[in-house]
Amino acid sequence: MSEMAPDIQSGLQLRARAFRLRRGGRGASIVVALILSGLCAAALITLSGHNPLEAFAAIIQGAVGTRHGIGASLDRATPYLISGLGVALCFRAGIINIGAEGQIAVGGAGTAAAALAVAGAPAPLAIVAALCGGALAGALWAGLAAVIHVSRGVHEVLVTLLLNFVALLLVQQLLAGPLGQIGAGFLQSPLMPRPTWLPRLPGFDVHPGIAIAVALAAALSFVMGRSRFGFALRVLGQSRPAAAYAGFSLPRLTCSAMLLAGALAGLAGGIEVLGIHHRLIGGFSLGFGFKAVTVALLGAMQPLAVIPAALFVGLLETGSLAMQRQIGVPSALVTVIEGLTMLFVLAATATRR
Amino acid sequence: MPVAEADLTPKASTTDAPKDGALLAMRGIVRRFGDIVANDRIDLEVREGEIVGLLGENGSGKSTLMKVLFGMLRADAGSITVRGRPLTDHSPAGALAAGIAMIHQHFMLIDAMTVTDNVMLGWPAAGHILRATTVAARIRDVSRRFGLDLDPDARVADLPLGRRQRVEILKAILRDADLLVLDEPTSNLAPTEVSELLAILRRLRADGKGIVFISHKLPEVLEVCDNVVVLRAGKVVGRASVSGTSQSQLAEMMIGRDVAPRPTTAPATLAAGPARLAVANLAGPGLERLSFEIRRGEILGVAGVDGNGQIELVETLAGLRSANGGTIALDGEDITRAGAGARMRSGLAYMPADRGTTALVKTMSVVENLMLRDSMQPPYGRGPWLTPGRAAEKARALMVEFDIRARDPETLVGRLSGGNQQKIVVARELDRAPAVLVAHQAAWGLDPGATRFVLDRMLALREAGAAILYVSSELEEVLAISDRVAVMARGGFAGIVRRDAVDARQLGLWMGGKAA
Repeated sequence: MSEMAPDIQSGLQLRARAFRLRRGGRGASIVVALILSGLCAAALITLSGHNPLEAFAAIIQGAVGTRHGIGASLDRATPYLISGLGVALCFRAGIINIGAEGQIAVGGAGTAAAALAVAGAPAPLAIVAALCGGALAGALWAGLAAVIHVSRGVHEVLVTLLLNFVALLLVQQLLAGPLGQIGAGFLQSPLMPRPTWLPRLPGFDVHPGIAIAVALAAALSFVMGRSRFGFALRVLGQSRPAAAYAGFSLPRLTCSAMLLAGALAGLAGGIEVLGIHHRLIGGFSLGFGFKAVTVALLGAMQPLAVIPAALFVGLLETGSLAMQRQIGVPSALVTVIEGLTMLFVLAATATRR
Repeated sequence: MPVAEADLTPKASTTDAPKDGALLAMRGIVRRFGDIVANDRIDLEVREGEIVGLLGENGSGKSTLMKVLFGMLRADAGSITVRGRPLTDHSPAGALAAGIAMIHQHFMLIDAMTVTDNVMLGWPAAGHILRATTVAARIRDVSRRFGLDLDPDARVADLPLGRRQRVEILKAILRDADLLVLDEPTSNLAPTEVSELLAILRRLRADGKGIVFISHKLPEVLEVCDNVVVLRAGKVVGRASVSGTSQSQLAEMMIGRDVAPRPTTAPATLAAGPARLAVANLAGPGLERLSFEIRRGEILGVAGVDGNGQIELVETLAGLRSANGGTIALDGEDITRAGAGARMRSGLAYMPADRGTTALVKTMSVVENLMLRDSMQPPYGRGPWLTPGRAAEKARALMVEFDIRARDPETLVGRLSGGNQQKIVVARELDRAPAVLVAHQAAWGLDPGATRFVLDRMLALREAGAAILYVSSELEEVLAISDRVAVMARGGFAGIVRRDAVDARQLGLWMGGKAA
């Protein structure tokens, strides 16, 4: 869904729009929005010469009809959820961080590097070390953006967006050099040492990433509502002058939020590497960072609501592959459906001031 | 349907209209918000060439009534007729088309544009191809006729607030408004600007315009209005012609009891000893090497026309702006380098003038606003965590102690009246038992009851031994509670004097920038 890449202008509008979300009564309008986007999708499928009911049935069957489908959907939703949480956190603080795309890629590279470095360590330790490496790399990459933003006053949308391109090229460069597999003929690293592979739940063929993601969402929800740090972020998001008056250090808060978001994105990339590919592949996370923005917005920046948003996108994408296989509707249509859903949900939840 | 009555019997409505042609007649306006009746069967009538004063405390229903008139809110019952014709299009555009213009407290102008640009903005009559010179000529003409003294080519950003307001009036005149509604038009103006505004309003009246003048300031109402309508708790509690009434009668109608004389305690006999707040050679953008001290139990009032360095002074003291030079000491401790949070923790309380986005977060609850600056300590929090249960309990206690009228601590602050909002700020800043309080426009826009409340709390804090810097452009307030009065002009103190030695003429000269 790289067509979704928000340009700088829409990033700025997003700041204006994101905080006008209504507090209550959102549930019903979201349901209406989902129904409307479903109707639009049905019309598009009809136009492409297929039966929309069959197509929807294929999507649902593909996504949740089999144990394997459920597992694949959950795997797919995991990186969106984890990185979406970081994006939501930043948005709540009024920081439009759209750097998840680059931070995920760098996080994957960090995880791969750490996993190769601790080759020979026992499984739990190796996994923890490798994921920490990913989170650290993501945080460092976000930290770079935070430092430029806070110290030089460059708009955060600009910094985080542009560093995405740098990050993707950096990872390619690493794969062409120190991290690359010699003679592979493709930009990829050697296989990770076996102990760093995330275990798979037998039967469902799913790695435990989704459990980590849900636990993180719960933790973040608690932090936002019940901690002083979360309170400070919420005040910052509602009014910068009020946050300064309250005695919060704005540069420190901004950096903390961006570092945390970077660490989450890095972790998402790391889990993808250890759980799915077991190696770092060039472009393994293409578009993930923008999906993160999508699910953060669909979840109205509420950590717990980001869970269903990420699951929705994960199910839709997994199901669409089945739809393409079974009845030949192009799965690219799902990108359109996702875009429509986001538009409808935002239109339903945003209020005019 | 607000106009049902008029729609069904248009003839009756025209015959109901007074023979001398009421410009505007609002009849039996009812508007409810949940259980609260904000407007309870209100009648308001304005004739051509009449200025009607609309008086009332905060929350009395003035704003609701005007929002109904201007189509921003729907009435639950009642009718509005303009020149005997029922108003059917209940929207701001409909109101404008019917010749009603609203001049808001906060101006709706684009600062970076010229007066002419602002006049043309959103004005259908300006056409698709803009002819700036023609419009500018019309502006000069109208400006001369009504004494607005506006240069069409001036950038709005370069105009003082009084002139910006005249741009709004100019827009209303050019759009052929017959009825002008002015919401608290004098709250941002310097005294000379106020008298100029009143002169302009008289010229508009002479030209046959009807004017609704919303204000708390009784002397102005008595000076310029022909008739006064007093609202209290959503009802009309009095109507009077200005010639037959007095300030105290109106005040009594407004708040339902006699306004006790303003607190005029004797100036504190200053204890010798070190100053609680000592400022030396404080300099920065907009500030000219200020030096002063405030002692235990003393209120230093700072008067002066807005924009002479007041905001720079208070924000530098609070730690929200950095100074270029000079020192600030609190109880002997140098806090010049400390941040806003550290200053607060060492005993400096601050009430900013900007309630909407600095002092309060309107989209957050009463309890969250009460803990805005104190979330690190009990009862609001412990360590990195908040303690919501105990915070709510504390908030309830403060709501009782400071008479904050909200349904519960979870109510959003944006839903409260201005007076209740300011009481939250007062409660938060005073509950910390500060050593020094810096208060800026602390009673701005409040009704007499709430103003009195704020001033009384300041005096109580003074009795408790705090040092208070009370900065306000309302000279009367400053004189009412200060022990010493300073006048700020061009970033410095033009003069400073004990309250019992105040000479009005001298203060006036200082305000004009003549140093002592």
